[in-house]
Amino acid sequence: QSMSLSVSPAQTAAWRRQICEQLSERSRREMDDFKHYEQAIEQSVWVKKGAM
Amino acid sequence: MADDKDVLRDVWFGRIPTCFTLNPDEVTEREAEPYYLLLPRVSYLPLVTDKVKKHFLKVMRTEDVEEMWFEHEGTPLKWHYPIGVLFDFHASNSVLPWSITVHFKNFPDVDLLHCPSNSVVEAHFMSSIKEADALKHKSQVVNDMQKKDHKQLWMGLQNDKFDQFWAMNRKLMEYPTEEGGFRYIPFRIYQTTSDRPFIQKLFRPVSTEGNPHTLFDLLKEMCPDALTKDGEEKRFQVVIHGIEPLLETPLQWLSEHLSHPDNFLHICIIPTPTD
Repeated sequence: QSMSLSVSPAQTAAWRRQICEQLSERSRREMDDFKHYEQAIEQSVWVKKGAM
Repeated sequence: MADDKDVLRDVWFGRIPTCFTLNPDEVTEREAEPYYLLLPRVSYLPLVTDKVKKHFLKVMRTEDVEEMWFEHEGTPLKWHYPIGVLFDFHASNSVLPWSITVHFKNFPDVDLLHCPSNSVVEAHFMSSIKEADALKHKSQVVNDMQKKDHKQLWMGLQNDKFDQFWAMNRKLMEYPTEEGGFRYIPFRIYQTTSDRPFIQKLFRPVSTEGNPHTLFDLLKEMCPDALTKDGEEKRFQVVIHGIEPLLETPLQWLSEHLSHPDNFLHICIIPTPTD
């Protein structure tokens, strides 16, 4: 089985660059002016328990 | 250049600023102020609206409260679709914050499923993951997981824990190198021009000749009318997570990086704004 999160040459492709740019633009558009809004989900600490 | 994990993070941490207002027909003891929240794009309305419910219940009498449901400009919002899909499909070209009306009576049974508790959302979410894995790996990965692994996926989503979720979800994104991708791509295409809720069919990430399929190949097969023909003005936007990926983007990469936590690639085809 391959790992899908590895770095590949395709990362320099135009389609990939465009997705990264658009995601940044989306953050600016949807979040920059609204940082003072409350988050819907409260952050809590996640504790991983080992198998018993 | 950001790496692929940054893409996963950007997708996960997408937020939609939302203004909830109470339906004016609800009976209240005093005026209800609007409530403003940042909603996670990848979550589901019942998982992130406890505060909204609490806020509006303060001005209502218990006997006037039935199951809470949401509506945007007259359209009831289906809680079993991810929030980002609801926004992209119904409101992506409208002014922010997203305006949602909150109702506590006249539940629209024809349009919406009831959601008496978050365990109903959990069951829906896990069944989507299982369906996606049936398409990707003939259910092999999800069946090899233990109950606690399933819980980890659900708790990761419910508590907005990226690392907790992806520590397990990465297993669902693996495939044999020699096959070049999953068996089939789990996708759903939503169209404003169709009465069908969505299109979902079998589609492989690689052609019979061994070439990677792209977003263009998928749309050409499933909804060719959504594509712009030569010399024609663009009539539709193809939106995934609030962005318009280039049509040459490989479908397998999209499936691995732009799927929702339910492991489906949700694609909205919406009319291009005319202004």
